[in-house]
Order: sequence, then structure tokens, then C-alpha cells
Amino acid sequence: MYGMAVTVGSDGRVIRPAILIRIARGPAFWWLVVPAVVFFIIFFLVPTASLFALAFNKPATGVIDLSAALSIDNFIRIFTRSIYYEAIFRSIGIASLVCIVGLLLGYPLAYVIAKTSNPGRNALLMVLVLSSMQLDMVIRLYGLMVLLGDNGLINSTLLDLGLIKAPLPLMYNIFGVVVGLVQITLPFMILSLIGSITSIHPSLEEAARSLGASRARAFFSVVFPMSMPGILAGTLIVFSLAMSSYVVPALMGGWKVLVMPIHIYQQVAETGRWQFGAAIAVVLFVSGLLAITLYHLAAMRAAGGRS
Amino acid sequence: MSDIQLVNLVKSYGEMQAVKKISLHIKEGEFFSLLGPSGCGKSTTLRMIAGFVMPSAGRILIGSDEVTHLPPEKRDIGIVFQNYAIFPHMSVAENIAFGLKLRKKSQAEIEITVTSALRQVGLVGYEDRYQRQLSGGEQQRVALARVLVTKPRILLLDEPLSALDKALREEMKYWIKELQRTLGITTVYVTHDQDEALTMSDRIGVMQKGRLEQVGSPEDIYERPETLFVTTFIGHSNVINVTVKGRDNGKTVVSFGANTILARALEGEVAPGSAAKLVVRPENVVIGRTGEGLPATVLTENYQGALVRYRLSLGEQEIVVERQNQSNVSRFAPGEEVGVSWDPERSEVLVA
Ligand SMILES: Nc1ncnc2c1ncn2[C@@H]1O[C@H](COP(=O)(O)OP(=O)(O)OP(=O)(O)O)[C@@H](O)[C@H]1O
Ligand SMILES: [Mg+2]
Repeated sequence: MYGMAVTVGSDGRVIRPAILIRIARGPAFWWLVVPAVVFFIIFFLVPTASLFALAFNKPATGVIDLSAALSIDNFIRIFTRSIYYEAIFRSIGIASLVCIVGLLLGYPLAYVIAKTSNPGRNALLMVLVLSSMQLDMVIRLYGLMVLLGDNGLINSTLLDLGLIKAPLPLMYNIFGVVVGLVQITLPFMILSLIGSITSIHPSLEEAARSLGASRARAFFSVVFPMSMPGILAGTLIVFSLAMSSYVVPALMGGWKVLVMPIHIYQQVAETGRWQFGAAIAVVLFVSGLLAITLYHLAAMRAAGGRS
Repeated sequence: MSDIQLVNLVKSYGEMQAVKKISLHIKEGEFFSLLGPSGCGKSTTLRMIAGFVMPSAGRILIGSDEVTHLPPEKRDIGIVFQNYAIFPHMSVAENIAFGLKLRKKSQAEIEITVTSALRQVGLVGYEDRYQRQLSGGEQQRVALARVLVTKPRILLLDEPLSALDKALREEMKYWIKELQRTLGITTVYVTHDQDEALTMSDRIGVMQKGRLEQVGSPEDIYERPETLFVTTFIGHSNVINVTVKGRDNGKTVVSFGANTILARALEGEVAPGSAAKLVVRPENVVIGRTGEGLPATVLTENYQGALVRYRLSLGEQEIVVERQNQSNVSRFAPGEEVGVSWDPERSEVLVA
């Protein structure tokens, strides 16, 4: 870590360098947010808001100027045509599935990494997790296609061994999309899980053991509930990434798995109907937000407002 | 309630031996402290008794049961950690009920037990609080209550007071001791604080570098240290380099510089002429006028309220002397020539 060194005093409190104290106390502190906020406004808020505004204009092929004639025709169309409203549920369903699979795959690994004291083994596992992030998503997906395609590694091996007669459909379907999304999002899941599991002091698990809990019981009554913040953070990130992903369903689903981002792309890039594409984007954004909020509320209720 | 037996217990981490062949019998109902400097293997020993660390060799018996290879949950022990390990996602009542639920007690019985445990530790009305709403001392009490309701055979405590401030530490020291005495539970207490060990324990095991240096009552350890390490670790001691001359009347004769004096008898034979250390505690040295004992010179006087501490030069060496600061005793000024003496029985010869 570089930057300002932080020292811990004998009483365990963090001693801040004088310059940080001065900034933290004065009005200068609030100026620190300006660069990021300005960036965010110019490069996210303005373009996204204008796109969303476009959703309230009637479709006009090739037109991207905002007109004063507002209409909700686009939204009526989305919610009355099954091809569009089914995509909403498909998107949410796939994103949820990716979260569950990611959690099942990621938790055990994160647990082992968090509990391994051997620094060599730990570094190796971390490299394993993070190495995939060094490659661009598209390249990683091409790799997956080599593995999962009809003539891919898996199918040709099984065919050669005579275990199957025809290639298994591993790609251009929901299975392929989910595998692709899990592959892309797993590091995020694992990293947020590692963070929260590491912060659980080992003496808590030991206390549970000494009170008579088996290893499994201690895990489920102490470690797992205490890692909830990490599970929550991990699933929220993965859900958002999976829900909004265009590249993965495009490559792994081969345009056959019609999730909302695919529809948006088709409307905008293929037919030039920016207004309708924008309306789908609004629905994607709102439904994702809604799903996340409901999930968050449910999780808070389950935790009983304890944390 | 049970006694604990450690038989040739060893724990190695690779090349490093954290615990080197410890054998120890902790009696039923005894308050036993493992005392030693940081890294001497106290926690490792305690954690082997608890079952969190598997011994590399040796055996552990609790009562008549061999527990060496049992997992912690099968050992019927209670342990209190330095950070108390209160489950933060459970209320105080749920924390205390944790072990009872695992023992499949009825809800009614659990409620009664939790209530009486809270009364016992003086935390009535704290049922619904969470860990973050408790002070260190209160967490400590919850941790003890949580352990004691399960009626463990032995109680293990790893530096339970080190996270508390000084005043609270004093209070908890007596409170824990009193609780232990009332319950009569066999207790192993790990600490690096000699005051805690001396005031609370029935017996103390002083550890250094993975070995038990000496086991004995607080008085044994303080008054009759058997090794130089124990001498210097417990309290402050003057250590004077001497040469053993021989024996006289059941005492040991030693000399240093031009002085020849007597000290408590050595155990075993020591060849005259061997180098040794003479150990005298500062409070056992008497200062008088020149001629009353060995000639010495006052180097500094250090006023400490109830005590006055002198640094003296004695022969070629330096010693520290403490005197009660009473109105009828005279004080000495730096540079003054004085005489020092001590009861030979209060001085010890240790052969290096
Ligand atoms: N898991 C481990 N792996 C390697 N070495 C260890 C391990 N646990 C303890 N040690 C080493 O064993 C020695 C004894 O450790 P232990 O924790 O028992 O000391 P301690 O007497 O409790 O000290 P402290 O007062 O600092 O708590 C130390 O040198 C420590 O570094
Ligand atoms: Mg320790």
C-alpha cells in the first residue's frame, strides 16, 4: 500500500498524519469529493439521463434528438409483448442463478483462503482467483467457446470416448450464458467473501467449538451468519454485473438467449430505434434496482436489524 | 470437576518447538497459572488442553479421560479468550444460551439458567444487549457466564484481563478469583503479568522458551526461585556475580571482590571455585551506617512515595535497595558511604 502511512497507537487507535486531520476538520475535506462527482455527472449522469429521456419519445428510426412530444408508447409496447416482458424475467432469473452458483462455488474457496495461514498457499489461491481478471472479458469468453462449443474440447472428448452420440448443447443456451457470467463474476464474489470471512476473529469459531459445537455447527451458527455482509455485497455486485451484461449473452447465448441488453442492442444498433432501446434500458435499470432493493430489505429483515 | 494431567507434552511448528516436553499435574479445584514472557508457549499449552492445537507428542488427561485426540467440543471444557469472543450477531441471552441449546435443554430450563447466570455475574437486565453495547468488563462477564452455564469440567483463561484498563483489571482479578473459589472449578490461567499470577493462583508454573522452569506456590516462586530466569522474571532481583568457596554450617560461602559472605545452602554439590550468581531482592537488603555490613556507596536516591529506592555500588557491581519510607528511618544521600547486609536465608546462590 502506498500513500499516507497510518500508525496505530499503543491504545490501538489509529493515529492520523497531521495533514489528514487538517483536511478532515476543515471545509477542504468536502472539496475532496469534487473530482469524482464532476466525472460522474459528465460521463454517467448526463448521457444516461438523456438516453432515459429519449425513452419517452415515440420511436423514429435513426433519430436521436429529444423531442418535446412525450409518450409512453414504448413502455406499453414492452409490457404488452411477451418477447419483451419475458426478457425482464429472463434477465432477473439468470442474474439470480448466477448469484447462487457463484455463491456455492465461491464460498468454500473464499473460506479456505480466509482461513489459510500458510502465506505461500494463500498467495497461490489468490493468484488463481485474480489471474482471470487479467484478461479482457471477450478473450476469456472465446476461451470458454473453445471449451464448450459443439466441436469444443468437452464435446469432442466425450464423442471420441463414445460416451455420447451427438454433441451436448453446452453453448448458445442459458447454460452457456450462466457459465460465462459465473466465470466473469466469480472473482468479485470471492473477493467480497474473503473480506468478510477474514474479519471474523477465529476465536469466535473456537468459542463455539469449546461450548460444544461441532465444526459444521460452529460454521453455520457463527461464521456463516457473520459473513452475511460479504454475501450481501458479493451477490449485489454479481447480480448487477450479470443483469446488465451484454457481451456474455451475446457471445455465449449466440443471440438465442434474449435478455434485456440483447434487445437494447438490437433496437439501437440494428434497427436504429433509439427511443425503444432506451425504454428497454429504463426498464432494465428500474427492474434491477427494484430486485436489489427487495433483496436487500429481505436480507435486513432476516438479520433482524442486528448488524 | 477434574484434575488435568499433561504428560511429556510437545508441540513443534516445523523446526521450532513451541512447547518442549511439559509434564504437569494440575489438581482438582486448583487455580493454576501459566506465567511467562511473550512467546514462551503459554497459549500453545492452553490451546492443546482445549483441543485447538494438536500436540506433536505426549498425552493430555482430564480427570481419568484421555482427551489427547478429542476435538474441543468433546472435551467438556470452558475457555475465555483475551478478546472474550462474544458472538456479535447474538444478544447476551442468546450468547449464554448457546451451549445450553447444543445440550438440548428445554426452553424453560434455558431461560431459568440464563437468568441466574446473569445474576451471578452481576448483569441482570443485560439480556437483550449486543456485544457492541457492552464494555470490556461486561463482555468478560458474559464470556464467563456463557462458559459456566455449561458446567465444564475445567476452566481455561487466556490473558482474560490484558484488554482491560488498570482499575478494572484489579477489580476483575479479585472477582474472577472469588468466582473460581466459590465454584471450586479447576482453572488454568495464562498470563504474562506476575501480579495477576501471584495474587490469584494456588500454584504457578513459570514458563520460558517452551519449558516449565519452576512449578510452585506463589510464595515458592517469589521467595525461593530455582533458576536465574525465575528470579529475574518475578519481581526485581539483584544478581551479583560470585565465586563459590564452599560450605559452612549448612550455608554456602561465596565471595565477590574483597567480600566473603554466607547464603542459603545450595542443593547438590558444587565444586569450590565455580562461578555463580547470588540473588537478593531489593526489599531484603538492609542499609546502615558504614561498618554495619559490606561497604557500599550510594549512587542515587529515588523517592517513590511509600518506598525509597537506592542504587548502590557494592564492590565492582551495582545493586538496588528498597526501604519503606517511614518517619523514623534515616535517608541517605548520593555519595554517602554506607554498610549493607541481608539475611543469608533471604539470598540464593544459583549456579549458572
Ligand atoms: N500456528 C503457529 N505456527 C507457527 N508458530 C507458532 C504458531 N503458534 C504459535 N507459534 C509460535 O510458538 C511460540 C509460542 O507461542 P504462544 O502463542 O504459545 O506464546 P505465548 O506464551 O502465549 O505468548 P504471548 O504472551 O505473546 O501470547 C511463539 O514463538 C509462536 O511464534
Ligand atoms: Mg498467548
